[in-house]
Amino acid sequence: MFNPRDIIETLANNVRQTTSPFGIPKFMVNKWHKDVNLPEEGEYMLITGLMYQFTPFIEKSTQYLEKYEGTKMASLLKYAKYMPGYLSGIGLAMMTSGKEKKNAGQALKDIAFLLKKSKVDFGYRPDLDNYSGILLYDMGDQKGFVAHAKKVAKKLKDAGVKKIITVDPHTAYAIKELFPKYTGISFEVKSYFELLDFESKDLGLEVTIHDPCFFGRYLKLSDIPRKVLGNLGITEFKIRNQGEFTSCCGGPAESISPSLSNEIMEKRVEELKEPGKPIIAYCPICLGNLKKSGAKVEDLSTILARHI
Amino acid sequence: MSTINLDFAEELKEYSGDTALECFNCGTCAAICPLVHDNFPRRMIRYVQVGAREKILENSDELWRCLHCGLCTHTCPREADPGEIILGLKRFVVANWRRS
Repeated sequence: MFNPRDIIETLANNVRQTTSPFGIPKFMVNKWHKDVNLPEEGEYMLITGLMYQFTPFIEKSTQYLEKYEGTKMASLLKYAKYMPGYLSGIGLAMMTSGKEKKNAGQALKDIAFLLKKSKVDFGYRPDLDNYSGILLYDMGDQKGFVAHAKKVAKKLKDAGVKKIITVDPHTAYAIKELFPKYTGISFEVKSYFELLDFESKDLGLEVTIHDPCFFGRYLKLSDIPRKVLGNLGITEFKIRNQGEFTSCCGGPAESISPSLSNEIMEKRVEELKEPGKPIIAYCPICLGNLKKSGAKVEDLSTILARHI
Repeated sequence: MSTINLDFAEELKEYSGDTALECFNCGTCAAICPLVHDNFPRRMIRYVQVGAREKILENSDELWRCLHCGLCTHTCPREADPGEIILGLKRFVVANWRRS
């Protein structure tokens, strides 16, 4: 386990300096929309919160952290906060493979495709699409989170945004529950799958669903993906820990303790693999972490885009 | 030697709700926690109840093994909200680091 103080201060400095916890400039992270033709305005504004885009960088930084966890080198992390955020961020971005970065954007392209197919009136503006600051909140840096969230919320409010579509549970929770409480600014927030509407099909497929904690317990939305899949004839093989009682994938522990993260992930994967069905996740952190096990895991958007 | 701080509950109000006294130490949270063993989060909640401020600071690294998955809060029979107590303690410890 790394010293939490070193990790928190590094992440907090990066967010303060660059608005990204990894220090990577936004133009290097958020590229998925460039070859997708999306309007700038609509009834809803699509806000990705950059979480899907961060996954290849999380994977790369975790590989390094794994290497040094429990060694004498781990104590050097305390000096990371003195490094300018952009410098370490650009370094990390350059070490991450282009293929992985491109793959991370595919889920967002699929989500945009699904929303269009469902005739949802939405727009996308990359300048308004910012990281929510949720990691600072989860780590206990309340001051850092509130300062960042206020900037993000104000930018959205100043642009006249009232209705938001989110794509991951962490950003959804931040904007829906935390922003009103800590910034005083509220938006109507929908997760993308709440707005999907396709023609019924009878595909006769069966899958195992891994519910992310924030959709299952905090936002209580886990029945909706099941309805969307069910409408296409994709049914769920029920496992013990699901829905409101879902079990953590271990993903959020990656920065503090990659070994703990792996321990939790292996337990969860064993449970998910047992029925022998394809596994569906609907959170970029869960998806990335569960995939590390080598198990066949797909994002909800991927299976939907393939079958509608 | 451990000391207790009778004003700790008051100090903690800035960072957390005041549900710790609802806890009757049944251990459901510790049994269900997928991440941490060794009586977590029950022990930390006990420290809050008795005002063992220094014990929390001494063992603070343990708090960050919690990923705020919410399973303890969801199953707590007393609605003591253990997940939020741990998050509040993280905030308290971070503020304490930054003051020192």
